[in-house]
Amino acid sequence: MRNFFRGIIRASSFFRKEIFEILRQPRLVATLIVGPFLILFIFGIGYRAEGRTLRTLLVVQSDSPIAAQDIQQSGETMGAQLTYAGATGNQAEALDQLQRGQVDLVIVEPGKITSTLQNNQQAVFTLYHHEIDPVRVSYITYLGWLFAGEVNQQVLRSFVAQGQTDAVDVQTSLQAAHQNVSAVRLAVQSGDEALAKQKQQGLAGNVDVVSTAVGASLLLLDSVQQTQVTSGGNTNQVRSVLADLRQNTQQLSDSPGSSDERLARLDKIDQDLTDLEGQLAEFQSIDPSIIVSPFRSETKSVANVQPSISDFFAPAVLALLLQHLAVTFAALSIVRERNVGTMELFRVSPLSAAEALFGKYISYLLFGGAIAAILAVLLVFALHVPMLGNWGYFALVIAAILFTSLGIGFVISIVSQTDSQAVQYSMIVLLASVFFSGFILSLDMLWEPVRVISWLLPTTYGTLLLRDIALSGSDPNWALLGGLIAIGLVLMLISWRLMRRLIASSQ
Amino acid sequence: MKQATPPEPSQMQPVQANNSVISAQHLTKKFGAETAVQDVSFDVFGSSIFGFIGPSGSGKTTTVRLLTGVYTPTEGQVTVLNCSPAKFSQSDRARLGYMPQLFVLYPNLTVWENLNFAASLYGMGLFRRKRLKEVLTFVELYEHRSKLARNISGGMLRRLSLATTLVHDPELLFLDEPTAGIDPVLRHKFWDHFRELKSQGRTIFITTQYVSEADNCDLVGVQNQGKLLLVDTPQGIRHHAYGGDMVDFSTTEPFDFQAEAKLRLLSFVRDKTVRTGFNSMRIIVDEASTATPELMEWAQQQNIQVQAVEEYRPSFEDVFVELVRPEVSHA
Repeated sequence: MRNFFRGIIRASSFFRKEIFEILRQPRLVATLIVGPFLILFIFGIGYRAEGRTLRTLLVVQSDSPIAAQDIQQSGETMGAQLTYAGATGNQAEALDQLQRGQVDLVIVEPGKITSTLQNNQQAVFTLYHHEIDPVRVSYITYLGWLFAGEVNQQVLRSFVAQGQTDAVDVQTSLQAAHQNVSAVRLAVQSGDEALAKQKQQGLAGNVDVVSTAVGASLLLLDSVQQTQVTSGGNTNQVRSVLADLRQNTQQLSDSPGSSDERLARLDKIDQDLTDLEGQLAEFQSIDPSIIVSPFRSETKSVANVQPSISDFFAPAVLALLLQHLAVTFAALSIVRERNVGTMELFRVSPLSAAEALFGKYISYLLFGGAIAAILAVLLVFALHVPMLGNWGYFALVIAAILFTSLGIGFVISIVSQTDSQAVQYSMIVLLASVFFSGFILSLDMLWEPVRVISWLLPTTYGTLLLRDIALSGSDPNWALLGGLIAIGLVLMLISWRLMRRLIASSQ
Repeated sequence: MKQATPPEPSQMQPVQANNSVISAQHLTKKFGAETAVQDVSFDVFGSSIFGFIGPSGSGKTTTVRLLTGVYTPTEGQVTVLNCSPAKFSQSDRARLGYMPQLFVLYPNLTVWENLNFAASLYGMGLFRRKRLKEVLTFVELYEHRSKLARNISGGMLRRLSLATTLVHDPELLFLDEPTAGIDPVLRHKFWDHFRELKSQGRTIFITTQYVSEADNCDLVGVQNQGKLLLVDTPQGIRHHAYGGDMVDFSTTEPFDFQAEAKLRLLSFVRDKTVRTGFNSMRIIVDEASTATPELMEWAQQQNIQVQAVEEYRPSFEDVFVELVRPEVSHA
């Protein structure tokens, strides 16, 4: 028991020493608190969730069937991503402007569009840029895809608008058809077969015109309706009305039947014509943009909170900062003892490796915990980062991050020969954390074998756990937390064995 | 000085005077092709001060590190407190005090915090303020206890280092040049304290470059170029350096060459005599105490008026140079 208490006293020597040494560097402490807070604060007010605006020059073809205005309009409908910098017919001059940096993007309209389409091929808009950043290249590629879609929609809108204009002529034919139906009905009722036959021929002509003219326009609407099949939409309505109309008109001429039958058929034809008029009126009343793009999407989250970008990154920043703080402090701790020469003193003294490590673990855990507490309070109450979960769980995860990170630091410290070596190793851990912990890139974007590195880093666990607690308000994922602590325990065991060898071994 | 915390009970035999506390047998330490310590053998007895003197780079610090277990000998054996340093237990280590040659504590801690750290390192209890104050007062640092170690002078650092070694009142002290950079007055005080520790039954193994300090030791080992030239009492070392004791012999009349030749023929006089003036000469004899009356008698027989006959004790600097000279010329 006496030895146990002496061991505690020996360990406590490091606790006091480390804390005093850190507190003797107030600038360091202030930097550790103010630095991350300011970074998040400035990031929060400075981040704009908008793509980069590209100054865009159009190269239009002289024989283009698409109006340059339509192309420009397509670009403008895409929002702030593209700013129209003008149009030119000279591609070489446009590319020269791109090289000089006067514009960011050159969109070249495809040549010989008609013949290309006739050859059953798509005409291609080519987008020239001078980006080398793969992310920005992907952005421009995506922008090109959106742009082509917009142009296609613009073409379709023009086509639909033209169809709506043409529908006015179809209305005239429908009215003529109605008049011929009435005339045939009167002729049949009066027994004037010659007049009836004459008017039937006129009706047949009207139906042919309507079938041809209405078909293209109304079938477009019909296609839209077909997409609603699952919701009980009226499918094939226009198609069947037109078919009925042609069939009844044909039978009226080919096999007239009795007067009653003919009158009944005329009533059916009249009804179909009225239906078509209704359909046509509906078609004319719909905005061409709606017909071309009948659907759009909306996203709604069932999460408890909709965090801003800075809110979302806050737990990751906290986890990364605490990991880096713990790794760096621990990494410098033992290598500095060795360089100063105190290790020689320790070898002669009754100090054991476990006591030295225990003292250092406790001191850095408490110091890191204090920094984490101040930062967490600042994040939640000054930056208004949501904290939906349990503070106790939050503190538990912080302790686990610090514990495991200290293990990494102590292993680094014991295997390093110099301060600069320890700092270099710590920076490598930081760099690995930035790339592999999901801090910037989602873990899903990494090749699975590479994710092994991710799952060795405390930041990976910390980011996921802290986000779950703070932003989702859920309990920690116990498997993740267990994994983090297990890694910490393994690292503690390794550092203890290495430290024991370091203190005990003679040269 | 009052003992603040008694040393932990050890599994080893308690130290007693005339018992060998440190025993080094044919110790050799090599670093690659370089031999730092070669075939060194000596014993240090309980309640004594063993001085280890030698020039810089002679292997003194390496020897201390071999004795404390920091280094493992390449050849030979060492036992400290009847135990191999490689097998020291925690309680064994608690009986040792070690002051390294350089200051190895923390520049960002105050004098008091550094001493407190060292006290904790040896498991001293929480009620140790009095002891800390005592030690700091002894090394004349109590007034500077709130200063950061980085802001005090080199001499003060040495004193702080000594304080951290003494704070737990160890049984066996290894002091590697404790008086380097210390002013003569304080150095004298330190030696007074070391002698007091010795009288309390402590054993001290001390290295120093101030060879004059060897006079304060019970036994002195002279080390040069990794080899232990000899181990003896301070007087024995002087005797060994000059081949005997030295006596200054002066007369009222000038001393002629015939008389000098007769003097050299005396049985107790060694070959070497040195004229230090017309009327005086320094004579090396077997034993100063017996040679002095015989010289007086011889002078009377020769009708030589003697002014003074007295033993000359050369400084240890001179003794050391005399001892090391053949080694250097041989090298």
